[in-house]
Amino acid sequence: MNRTSRENGGTWLVGGAAAMCLAGVVMVLVLLASAGIAPFWPSRIVDLRLGDGREVFGEIVSEASKWIVVRQSELDRAGGNYVRIARGSIADRSEPADAFAVALTDGRRLFGRGDSAVAASALGDASAPARIEETLWPNSLGYLGSLGVLVRHAGRFLFTSNAASTLVGGALPALVGTVTLVLLMSLIVMPFGVATAVYLHERRGFAVGLVRSAIGNLAGVPSIVYGVLGLGLFVHGLGAGIDRWFFSDRLPVPTFGSGGLLWAALSLALLTLPVVVVSVEEGLARIPPGLRTGSLALGATHGETMWRLLLPAARPALLTGFILAIARAAGAVAPLMLVGVVKLAPALPVDGEFPFLHPSRQFMHLGFSVYDAALASPDALRGVPRAYACALLLVIVVIALNLAAIVLRNRLRERYREIEA
Amino acid sequence: MSANPGTYTPFLNVSGGSVLAARWRRERVGRALVLGGATVVLAALLVIPIFLITSILPWTPLPSGAWSGLGVLLAGTFKAGFCALLVALPLGIAAAIFSAEFSAPAFRSWFKPALEILEAIPTVVLGLIAFATLSPWLGANVGTLLALMVALPALLIAAGMAFGARLRRLSGWLPLWLLPALIAVVAVIVALVGPHQMDLIVPVSPWNAVLVGLALGLAAVPLVFSIAEDALMLIPATHVQAAFALGATRWQALKSIVLPAARPGIVAAMALGASRCLGETMIVLMASGNTPLPDLNPLTGLRTISAELAVGLPEAAAPGGAYRTLLLAALVLFALTFVLNLLAERARARMHRRADRANSPA
Repeated sequence: MNRTSRENGGTWLVGGAAAMCLAGVVMVLVLLASAGIAPFWPSRIVDLRLGDGREVFGEIVSEASKWIVVRQSELDRAGGNYVRIARGSIADRSEPADAFAVALTDGRRLFGRGDSAVAASALGDASAPARIEETLWPNSLGYLGSLGVLVRHAGRFLFTSNAASTLVGGALPALVGTVTLVLLMSLIVMPFGVATAVYLHERRGFAVGLVRSAIGNLAGVPSIVYGVLGLGLFVHGLGAGIDRWFFSDRLPVPTFGSGGLLWAALSLALLTLPVVVVSVEEGLARIPPGLRTGSLALGATHGETMWRLLLPAARPALLTGFILAIARAAGAVAPLMLVGVVKLAPALPVDGEFPFLHPSRQFMHLGFSVYDAALASPDALRGVPRAYACALLLVIVVIALNLAAIVLRNRLRERYREIEA
Repeated sequence: MSANPGTYTPFLNVSGGSVLAARWRRERVGRALVLGGATVVLAALLVIPIFLITSILPWTPLPSGAWSGLGVLLAGTFKAGFCALLVALPLGIAAAIFSAEFSAPAFRSWFKPALEILEAIPTVVLGLIAFATLSPWLGANVGTLLALMVALPALLIAAGMAFGARLRRLSGWLPLWLLPALIAVVAVIVALVGPHQMDLIVPVSPWNAVLVGLALGLAAVPLVFSIAEDALMLIPATHVQAAFALGATRWQALKSIVLPAARPGIVAAMALGASRCLGETMIVLMASGNTPLPDLNPLTGLRTISAELAVGLPEAAAPGGAYRTLLLAALVLFALTFVLNLLAERARARMHRRADRANSPA
């Protein structure tokens, strides 16, 4: 064993570590894509005859090496009729082509065999009143037909609201809540972030060092601490004060004194401030000093130089900071749990009613839906697929924002190249 | 040009022209706005500890059991953080060493964004994967995981010694070539070892510190990697070239020149990684089982300060004893991470000063 071969071993070891990081990224993305799309794919309906003579008819919801779990017709309530069957006990398995699945508006699913007339009458067996949302014959669907159903289900998930339960219906309220929250947050954070970046860029001295290390430390504060701050200072402090002064007629029902959109946006603004400051300051530092000295030499003030020349030239960096802040905020869930996210909001934070944006309202959030569907739902076999669907949507939003930041930055950098050269 | 606008007076108000006066006013307003923005940032950092301390402050005794409860939460926090660091530090630092020292530049420009994608994935999503997908697997495969942790490094070193010289041309893009091989080897080991170790090591709870460590460690890898890699890239190439000229091999140069010089940066990466792991909430909330246990067994569940805050604080009445206990926990968490961040900040500053000195001609 000479030194060269020992060194090659070391190189492969660190290379292997890099490969393991890559494997982690790939596995997370592949798992998310497959598990996030699976809930929209129509599952097969099986007719199982067991060794002891029992018959089980329903759709397969979970398969493991030794067990399968089948959802049978849910006549009473959603999630009330699962059976777990050992693979060894199955004597005969068939997938009849005329098997149908009826989805009701309250989330229950009924299964049976026959044509559309039989399917329509299946509702008669169900106890509680509900309307039929969709009837499918999944076993007779070809690949393309299943794909069509998948697109339809995904569309419904994206564009409809959920009425009664978080496990039924679309994710539109959560999507709207997430987007409204991050946009409001960016309205708050951008002015302060840019002002701080300009300060750091223009000034020298002890205070600058202090602010700079404050930024570094703010970036490392755990996100939950921002939630604690938001709850204690904004909700219980500021919010209760606003209620006492302006909404005293409605007390003790809180208006701003309970968690809501505005307080959540403020907490997230604190959380994302370092991202904006760092990226804007980097952009300002990259502008060649000649531009600035030239402007000053022509008689412009520092403020005019900054406002008319340097900030426009740093536009790619401003945009990058903006998008990165949004991406960071869209993924932060922990602080929201303390300042106003709810599993089921009665109304959207934006609507057609004056003043259109309701900053005191509680809201729903995609990330919180992931947590809530996975951990807090009574029906795990619906909750986990639902959580994966929400997670996929959230990741698509976040990664699209990040990619947009990269693309826009590169394009704008091309445009400003002659300045930077 | 004066760097400090405070010492620079752009207009001598000789003519008394109103245009100049207006411009001068605008200038002052702009300057005040900028100063105000910066003050808010400084205030934002100061307000966190001030708020936490003042809201605990009337030092009436906390409810009985508050301190021992805090101790259990601290034990859980450290247990989760330690397990996660066992994953994040070796992977992140080794990947940084490869990326900075051995990889082709094209590989590096492609590898960094890949890890940035991992950093952008919300932790609630990683928590979901740990909770719903990884935990059933891990429940039956703790022994397989141990086998992988021993076998993979050993196999990598052995393969490098055997094939490294012959496959030298691949080395800049090594991880890409290793990726499929690695996945195949892992699949084989899982298939071979998996069925035989079922009952050897059985986790006490399906949601335990090992699971948290895997998910949280993966979440912290990009942070550790990017800071460690920045530090390694700061070392001037001339230092390494000098070592080569004196006959050192790559690893000798790495061990005797690059790593010692980059040590502050790597310490910063470790400290920030630790700070991240101690304060992370969603992964711990979803994958830890949330059972407050005063032990350090990695196969049992745990409850961290952050999870306790996320679950308990919305329900605690504002001025009550439970509320103040939770704020005390938040203060402890803030203090812990603040010390680690400060350490990292100072280490990085030292690193940059040293690099500036090395880069500027003496």
